[in-house]
Amino acid sequence: MELINALGLNVKILLAQLVNFSVLLFVLYKFAYGPILKMLDERRDKIEEGIKNAEDAKTKLAKIEMSEKEILSDARKEAQKIIVAAEDVAKKNKEDILNEAKKQSQQILEKAEKNIEQEKNKMMEDAKKELSELVSLATEKIVGEKMDAKKDKEIIDSVIK
Amino acid sequence: MGLNISLAPEVIFHIGSFPITNAFFVSIFVTVIVLAVFLLIANRFQTVPTRFQALVEILFEEAFDFVESIIGNREKAKRIFPLVFTMFIFILFANLLTYIPGQAAVTLKTEEGVMPLFRAAMADYGVVFMMTMVSVILMQIVAIAVHGPFGYLGKFFNFKGPLDFFLGLMDIVGEIAKIVSLSFRLFGNIFAGEVLGAVMLFLAPYFIPLPFMFLGLLTAFVQAFVFSVLTLVFISMASTIEEDELVEEASI
Repeated sequence: MELINALGLNVKILLAQLVNFSVLLFVLYKFAYGPILKMLDERRDKIEEGIKNAEDAKTKLAKIEMSEKEILSDARKEAQKIIVAAEDVAKKNKEDILNEAKKQSQQILEKAEKNIEQEKNKMMEDAKKELSELVSLATEKIVGEKMDAKKDKEIIDSVIK
Repeated sequence: MGLNISLAPEVIFHIGSFPITNAFFVSIFVTVIVLAVFLLIANRFQTVPTRFQALVEILFEEAFDFVESIIGNREKAKRIFPLVFTMFIFILFANLLTYIPGQAAVTLKTEEGVMPLFRAAMADYGVVFMMTMVSVILMQIVAIAVHGPFGYLGKFFNFKGPLDFFLGLMDIVGEIAKIVSLSFRLFGNIFAGEVLGAVMLFLAPYFIPLPFMFLGLLTAFVQAFVFSVLTLVFISMASTIEEDELVEEASI
């Protein structure tokens, strides 16, 4: 009893202290710890999610890069193929065209030669004809006498030949 | 100039028949300050923290993780954290309040003489006793909730053998000793610090008391920490089931 008096313990004040402390605890729990802890948890979740998302994005990016490389190499191969094929076609075309041209030029040449031959023959014939006429005229003048036309021709032909 | 040291808090005025002691006044004062500080901080909280908020968060998280590391379980930690942290903050603020310069000079004139308006709240055994009782009663409640009423009583009244019976009675003594050790450790440290400070100021007012004040600051923090951590440890001990107990239950 003496100790209690010496320490100044008083039931009324003790109860009041208890109420005071309870109010402090309750208000802090309700309006400080609760919201703060909740927000810290939320933030933790958010950060975890963010890290996960970032990792996902990273792997996705790597995948995309890989597929990009694949596509690029595929395209390159395809392009190479196309170029080779085109070169082949071009070569073939070139040969074809060359052959055609050769053929045509050959033909033209042949035609021309033929023409020339013909022309030459015709000219020769014409020349022969004219010559024979001239010769017959000259002979007529020289001989003064007209020979039988038929005989004349025979003679001239034999001379010319 | 006389040295005025009183073990009991001084009654500064009455409301009706209700005596208001300076320690009670201070504890209400501290409550208001703590509430103001925390509500202000909690209200300003936002998802993207400012520097100050980040600092508060670090302290808060560290405190929570510490509680979790002792009690070993996040759910349990969430339940016990508010009480333990409030005890820590309340004791810390109450202890630090006495280091505000000039507050010791504020006095009230009453019929019984001149009384200091402020007193270290923890140097009033009433406040400490109240908090000790809160923590000790909570320990018993937790123990009953975990072990069941019969398991709880069985710990104290054990009739398996004379030695077990004696040890059970010793456990009762141990529970009472917890009240004494918890409350008088805090009360004694703070009261002694106050007395020492007063004596030092009385003997040599300049410079000499400074080291003692530093020591007092350290005590202010350490004792707040010790009180709340001991509460936490006792409650965590009450909430765990020992292995041999499990074996016992299984054999029944």
